[in-house]
Amino acid sequence: MTNTLSPPTGREAPPAATRPRRRRRRGGLDGHDRLTRAVLLLGTCLLVMVPFAWMISLAFTPPEQAFGSVALVPEDPTLENFSTALLDADLLRALANSAIVAAVVVLGNCVIAILAGYAFAMLPFRGSTAVFFSLVATTAIPVSVTLIPLFLMTRGVPLAGGNDILGQGGSGLLDTLAGLTLPHLVMPMNIFLARQYFSGSSRDLAEAARIDGAGEWRIFSRIYLPLAKPLVAVIAIFSFTGVWDDFLWPLVITSSPESQTVQLALARFLVDGNVQYGPLMAGVVLVTLPVIAVFLFNQRGFISGLTDGSVKG
Amino acid sequence: MLFVLPALLYVGIFHLVPVVYGLVLSFTDYDPLSRTSPDVVGFDNYVAIFSDAAFRDSLLVTGRYVLMVLPVTVALALGLALLVNRPFPGVGLVRSALYVPHIVALTAVSMVWLWMYSSNGLINEVLGWFQLPAQSWLYDEDTALPAVAAMRVWKALGSNMVLLLAGLQSIPKELYEAARVDGARRWQLFRHITLPGLRPILVYVVAMDIIFLAQGFAEIFVLTGGGPLGSTTTTNYLIYTEAFQYNRMGSASAMAFVLFAFIAGASLLAVRGMLGRRQS
Amino acid sequence: MDVTSRMRHLRGPVALVATGALALAACSSGGGGGSGDSADSLVVWFPGTNQTEIDLVTDVIVPQFEEETGVEVEVTFADWGDLSTKLSAAFAAGTAPDVFGHGPAAIADYAVNERVEPLDGYVAQLDPDDVEDLSSALPGGQVDGVQYLIPLSMQGNMFIYDAEMFADAGLDPDAPPSTWEEIYEAAEALTVRDASGTVTRSGLLLPTHPVGTQQSFANLLLAAGGDQLSPDGTQAAFNSPEGEQALRLLVDMYSGEEPVATGLGANFMDAAAAQQPIVTGDAAIMMTVAPRATDIMAAAPDRDFRILPVPRFESADSGHALGGAGAGLMISSDSPDKDLAWQFIEYMIDPGTSEQYTEGIGAVPTRMSAVQGEYAQSSPVVQAWLEALPQFTANPNVPGWVQARDTMATYLEGALRGQATPEDTLTEMETAVNDVLAAARP
Repeated sequence: MTNTLSPPTGREAPPAATRPRRRRRRGGLDGHDRLTRAVLLLGTCLLVMVPFAWMISLAFTPPEQAFGSVALVPEDPTLENFSTALLDADLLRALANSAIVAAVVVLGNCVIAILAGYAFAMLPFRGSTAVFFSLVATTAIPVSVTLIPLFLMTRGVPLAGGNDILGQGGSGLLDTLAGLTLPHLVMPMNIFLARQYFSGSSRDLAEAARIDGAGEWRIFSRIYLPLAKPLVAVIAIFSFTGVWDDFLWPLVITSSPESQTVQLALARFLVDGNVQYGPLMAGVVLVTLPVIAVFLFNQRGFISGLTDGSVKG
Repeated sequence: MLFVLPALLYVGIFHLVPVVYGLVLSFTDYDPLSRTSPDVVGFDNYVAIFSDAAFRDSLLVTGRYVLMVLPVTVALALGLALLVNRPFPGVGLVRSALYVPHIVALTAVSMVWLWMYSSNGLINEVLGWFQLPAQSWLYDEDTALPAVAAMRVWKALGSNMVLLLAGLQSIPKELYEAARVDGARRWQLFRHITLPGLRPILVYVVAMDIIFLAQGFAEIFVLTGGGPLGSTTTTNYLIYTEAFQYNRMGSASAMAFVLFAFIAGASLLAVRGMLGRRQS
Repeated sequence: MDVTSRMRHLRGPVALVATGALALAACSSGGGGGSGDSADSLVVWFPGTNQTEIDLVTDVIVPQFEEETGVEVEVTFADWGDLSTKLSAAFAAGTAPDVFGHGPAAIADYAVNERVEPLDGYVAQLDPDDVEDLSSALPGGQVDGVQYLIPLSMQGNMFIYDAEMFADAGLDPDAPPSTWEEIYEAAEALTVRDASGTVTRSGLLLPTHPVGTQQSFANLLLAAGGDQLSPDGTQAAFNSPEGEQALRLLVDMYSGEEPVATGLGANFMDAAAAQQPIVTGDAAIMMTVAPRATDIMAAAPDRDFRILPVPRFESADSGHALGGAGAGLMISSDSPDKDLAWQFIEYMIDPGTSEQYTEGIGAVPTRMSAVQGEYAQSSPVVQAWLEALPQFTANPNVPGWVQARDTMATYLEGALRGQATPEDTLTEMETAVNDVLAAARP
């Protein structure tokens, strides 16, 4: 997304001369403020991380000692759980499968959902509000009810998995990676999010560009999309985590070990009454790392590097 | 219109069709195990679930659950988003730390929370340091739902924060510049610029939280199994039981559409309320 | 068809959509047995995700079977919590596996819908000695006397106690109590209370989490000589003097004047070994199952844990407990090659495989001859459970049982939490369970 046609966004750096002045004015409060903020954030982070710290601790605890006592640092840490997780649960293959599925889903949502959300916000057509609400409404129906219809449809995809043109005779997209992406490729909530995001931005730019004779596609791709970096970042993160965390759909449509996803691989350690805490938590740590990486990469989209983001503390 | 078409087609086929299918099933006695075609039973399922006290109770539990989680998580997330909006050394790490709960597999995390709530778990241990009596958090009618809600707040905090953060970034910075030149105080900036600018995303956050919280299921499944005495049996938990334990898909679908009506009503009310303030 | 005649209930567009949707459902259920369509491959779903079980099945049993029969077997392991969901979707779409496993509680619902194959013909072909050897297991897989499920392991509730705690309380750990009256008396001596009278160590623990409550009640009911349902499985039979005796003990335990247990509602049965109340010192006697008992002994090797012989109430002739057939395998009626499917099941219950399998998952073997086996000989826990097999009675296999069980749990919980007296609870529970059973009958 290179931005050759730099739009008049008002986001450019303020004239250099204004910066020092502003800094100076807020200087008196800053030290105190910073301390408060640091303490608040540190406290919250610690609280929020307690359960996760525990999971990491368990991941390094020999299985037979798990949950024996309240000890955050395991007495004799081990890497055994990690090898169990990787080998027994075939986690590498699951990671690869999940990564492929997640990549396709992220792409689908970043393109199709953002486009649709933009259109709903900026280019309303007759009945678009009604259409929009019925799309969003589908997210309010519990999956217990839609699971079987969706399963039947996945099995009945025409010309896939040995099916004829009417979708009969074979297994359709069951037990395939394509089948895994089906319910997630365009998430209605992402359309909703994109619409809300764009509905907050000014339409003046579009009007001006239209007067200049720019097409709608050009207006979107050259003016509004570059402004929507935080939106793209959020949708990428949410689509990724959404599909990465999904458990029920992969459980229902996959059967062969070749199409297992990470959550299914982890479920292997959740044996009733005999939960293997060590390997489970080790697996969770391994499976969480890619998501943190995706998050760290994308969260830079929240920093509009052109301003010093001065304001709200 | 062309921009919307791909999304429309896709969502229409893979989201709307199953929903319509489910709506049709709600007027039948469909049993996925049965070999005979389902019979159409008219409104029998709807009549039956409304005369079922367990279903009515579950709606109340669901409502309570949403009210316990929603305000807390939105307020906390907003505060945190404001705190991590400005870049500082390590801001990425802090944001990630706050986001982590949202991405850790729920089943695994529930194991840890189960233990934290257990009679000799971390929370009772901490109470012990202050000479406070231990509680049986998940097994007491009065504390079970709040205990589940606390975990949900923890889990939902990160995603709400990220959304609000994106919203904050969409507010043009020059608005603040101008206001500050006019001598506006920090609270005034928040009240007259941040909050109105954040409104579209805030509407999204609240609407989505209502939609997802009202379908709370997995955390209940793992932590309490709906107990004690049904005090954590949300409607969606009941729907799951009805659909996959008792194989009564028709009645489960009817429950789902009644729940849907409540969710739609509640989200519309909330959205109206928030947008209404703009007009006044 | 029924659908068309009843369609009058609906009007206009709804009827149109309904016809289409139902037609789709009907077409879809006409399909074959998943990817096991052709005769040279077999699709098998195992319940649970026990690593030892997975390794054993995929690395040993399946390759062995494949080599001998030239058939390709595709095995999937699904966790217990979501097994029914996965199966429902598969049955609805006609993609069910050839062979699948489940617990006995679910078989009646599959059987009445003719989703699973009757196995009597196959069982009749087994060696009579084999049938005799499996005689404590097979009945648990029958519905109305017809065999649908072949159990792979046995289950049962027994009581584990801490011998040192017994000695400290002045009781003789070598002469443990044998009736429920004696156990309760011992429990009173073993209970530890703090200054305010709150129980800090349970003398006796029976589970009271949702599914556990029904198990605890059924266990005591059987020990009192009572039954859960009438012999034909159509009526509740627990509203009896035996039922009252059982429920009263359970209620007294947790909320009587001098309770001997604490932690009402907690699911200690499924906790990690190191967290089991008897290991943490929070209980002196508690109910448990064989695999858990094995874990408990392993988690605390220097403690002296022992198993109580199956107790009875003084009014009953002999000790009884809830138990019997555990999870097992069924054959889908849609499977194109049922003989092949049976061949696989036969493999699984072969004495060698069976011992290997049950040892792998720490379960109780189905064959009575296993008492002499190396596995049982090396494990006092398994020995104790095998000896108790004749005293185990299973939950009934009737349509609607899953819901009947959950209904019982709801009412029993009410009694335990003081919402109703044991007498009223049993009466109301009887009506409710009878309604559930009546509604589920085809």
